[in-house]
Amino acid sequence: MLKLLKEIFRTGEATVKYPFAPMPVCKDFRGKPEHKAEDCIACAACTVACPANAIQMETDTAAGSRTWSINYGRCVFCGRCEESCPTGAIRLSDDFELAVGSKADLTRKAVFTLADCACCGKPFAPAKEVDYVARLLSQSARSAEEADRLRLTAATCPACKRAQDVHHIAGMGIARQMEAGLSKTGKPAKELETTP
Amino acid sequence: MNVPVDPKTLVAEMSPVSTSEQIATMKKALLKNIQRSAYVYRVDCGGCNGCEIEIFSSITPVFDAERFGIKVVASPRHADILLFTGAVTRSMRMPALRAYEAAPDPKIVVSYGACGCTGGIFHDLYCVWGGTDNIVPVDVYIPGCPPTPAATIHGFAVALGLLEQKLKAETHVEAAGETAALPHPDIPYALRVRLEREARRMAGYRQGRDIAEEFMALLEGHAHTPGSFSLSERMLEAIGEERDPRRAEIIARLADVVQRAIRGEAPRGEAP
Ligand code: SF4
Ligand code: SF4
Ligand code: SF4
Repeated sequence: MLKLLKEIFRTGEATVKYPFAPMPVCKDFRGKPEHKAEDCIACAACTVACPANAIQMETDTAAGSRTWSINYGRCVFCGRCEESCPTGAIRLSDDFELAVGSKADLTRKAVFTLADCACCGKPFAPAKEVDYVARLLSQSARSAEEADRLRLTAATCPACKRAQDVHHIAGMGIARQMEAGLSKTGKPAKELETTP
Repeated sequence: MNVPVDPKTLVAEMSPVSTSEQIATMKKALLKNIQRSAYVYRVDCGGCNGCEIEIFSSITPVFDAERFGIKVVASPRHADILLFTGAVTRSMRMPALRAYEAAPDPKIVVSYGACGCTGGIFHDLYCVWGGTDNIVPVDVYIPGCPPTPAATIHGFAVALGLLEQKLKAETHVEAAGETAALPHPDIPYALRVRLEREARRMAGYRQGRDIAEEFMALLEGHAHTPGSFSLSERMLEAIGEERDPRRAEIIARLADVVQRAIRGEAPRGEAP
């Protein structure tokens, strides 16, 4: 009996105080993915990476908007969204108190506007993404001229870029076209400069 | 001829069970009177058993759900709270409904885990119903895959009305002229990519990103307040100060990346 009592005192109280006191979690605990919509460029990398499809994107070209949404009820806390996010807008926090009474409270949304193509004027990508890419590219440009060109490239939709490339190649002499064709078989294409 | 089939016509759409007004008022009374005697019956509707393990760890002495009178019982006929785990596979639908019917009214239904809430990672499998609320009305959702024991306790506290839920539905609308800040505009883009890549290669995306951020803060700090040290001295100092040999190694490699970039050499492992 005395031995048992001694053992009890030695062990102390094992039970945690939670929920009456905050629960300490370990470093790099994988809790609720916290999304900072201000830093998000709506690039959809997380949407593609999410294995449970907890993050989804809906693009509405008529309204010119793209809606990012996360369903915490579907998230499996794998951290792939954090891994793939180029701007660090989404990061797993240490918040684990996610229980809700109504399912609607498990979703969080962010609405972004779409930018129009500089060439054809149709909406093609989120405005924030175009702006971010343009600034990132012009950061490493060597001249103001090149920066302008890169900025214009970023603001052009893929279809227009393709059309421009075809136009560009068609305008070249036959010899240069041949050279460009050759370059595919091993030699570096020095002359053929299309939109990067 | 292959006529396109509407997949909707191939599955039987069965409406979820609904509860009457009277039961709803009884439920309110139950929540008031339940106090410290909540008997829980656990219904496994085809999950991976991760959730079950966490349920049992929340009734261990460390988390001790019995402090709140929460007891796991062996029969739905003794239960006040039904805990549904798993994504509700087709073959578990009837047993789950039988457990629901067997529990005396009024009862509280808790949907446990990502699977229970929405079907989780199994949500689009051909053989699942995708969530408890597709078959029975649910009162509380506890997300997590699996929810930690602390999250389980919090969920029960919400179910019993002891705590308020923290999450609220929110919609952020992009403000006019909102832009995302470029990270580290003073560090050349190519160098930043090399640093981040090396740090992630060594330490994974989470710690790697943290270490790269710290290191780039050091570089920027040096650029803004040069002081009397040279950059390599400062980097050596940072390596020397590091107590964790693994982090010291990673920082040394990042310093090497910077030195190579300054000398105009190609990064290690890449042809010039
Ligand atoms: S943690 Fe995993 S499951 Fe959750 S939102 Fe991110 S990618 Fe999706
Ligand atoms: S990956 Fe990051 S920036 Fe891209 S949409 Fe997701 S949260 Fe936004
Ligand atoms: S929520 Fe996750 S841990 Fe729980 S049953 Fe589903 S897959 Fe397993």
